[in-house]
Amino acid sequence: MGKNVLLVDDSSTMRKIIGRSLRQAGIDFDNIYEAADGLEALAILESKKVDIVLSDINMPNMDGIAFLREKANRAAIKNIPVLMISTETGDDIIGEAKSLGALGSIKKPFTPDKVNEILGPLL
Amino acid sequence: MAVEFDVASEILKAAQDVFLTMLMVELESEDAIYNKQADINANLTSMIGLGGGIRGVLAIHCPANVAKAITGNFLGMEIEELNDDVKDAIGEIANMVAGNLKVVYATINVNIELAIPTSVVGESFNVCGAAKAQRVIVPLLMAGKRFWIELMYVVH
Repeated sequence: MGKNVLLVDDSSTMRKIIGRSLRQAGIDFDNIYEAADGLEALAILESKKVDIVLSDINMPNMDGIAFLREKANRAAIKNIPVLMISTETGDDIIGEAKSLGALGSIKKPFTPDKVNEILGPLL
Repeated sequence: MAVEFDVASEILKAAQDVFLTMLMVELESEDAIYNKQADINANLTSMIGLGGGIRGVLAIHCPANVAKAITGNFLGMEIEELNDDVKDAIGEIANMVAGNLKVVYATINVNIELAIPTSVVGESFNVCGAAKAQRVIVPLLMAGKRFWIELMYVVH
């Protein structure tokens, strides 16, 4: 069975760009699910098989940090890996994301090669 | 605290990086405008609030044809009107330009916090900053078509 990815970003444009970058990087997923914030992401994780999450940090309703914190408290989904894709690069916020379980981060703007370089080894 | 670099130059570099990386488009620029009104002919403005060490707004002002061209390039599709895709795309461009500026300011120990972008479609409106805010407007050219990035800020 193939792999599924969940893209979490309040920008529908950015979700499309990330999806296109995955294809351009030669990373094929059977399903690309999309969520506009952490709350939507949690609902999808509870109802779909997702192998990895690519998540923004600055989002309305529930941001990426709150999403990681809430996900860590839910036994059924807490081990699903998360990679942050964000304009945020500061050690404080990226460090907090990593302390909550994020595997790493990709800075926006990004190229398909950069996505492949960071995401590829995690799959 | 004095800002120790050329803000207009950093805005230009931040925008060029975003456009070259995400759209594979080279940007040219014209002379920056400091602390005065400019003749901005825009149909869409996307703004992102800045907090922390720099308080203010970064705004991208686009005529309709430029906003549609940027979005069409971004999404790889023909764009016919200033729809939600355009508002979202230009907002995300503003977000990434502000993100690049945040990285530069961090090198001089100024921490900037970014809000979530907002886009406005319309004409004949001005964006105003706080009293005594510094104002820098950088005119940019994408394939000869002009748009503007404006930073209004107060150093906190």
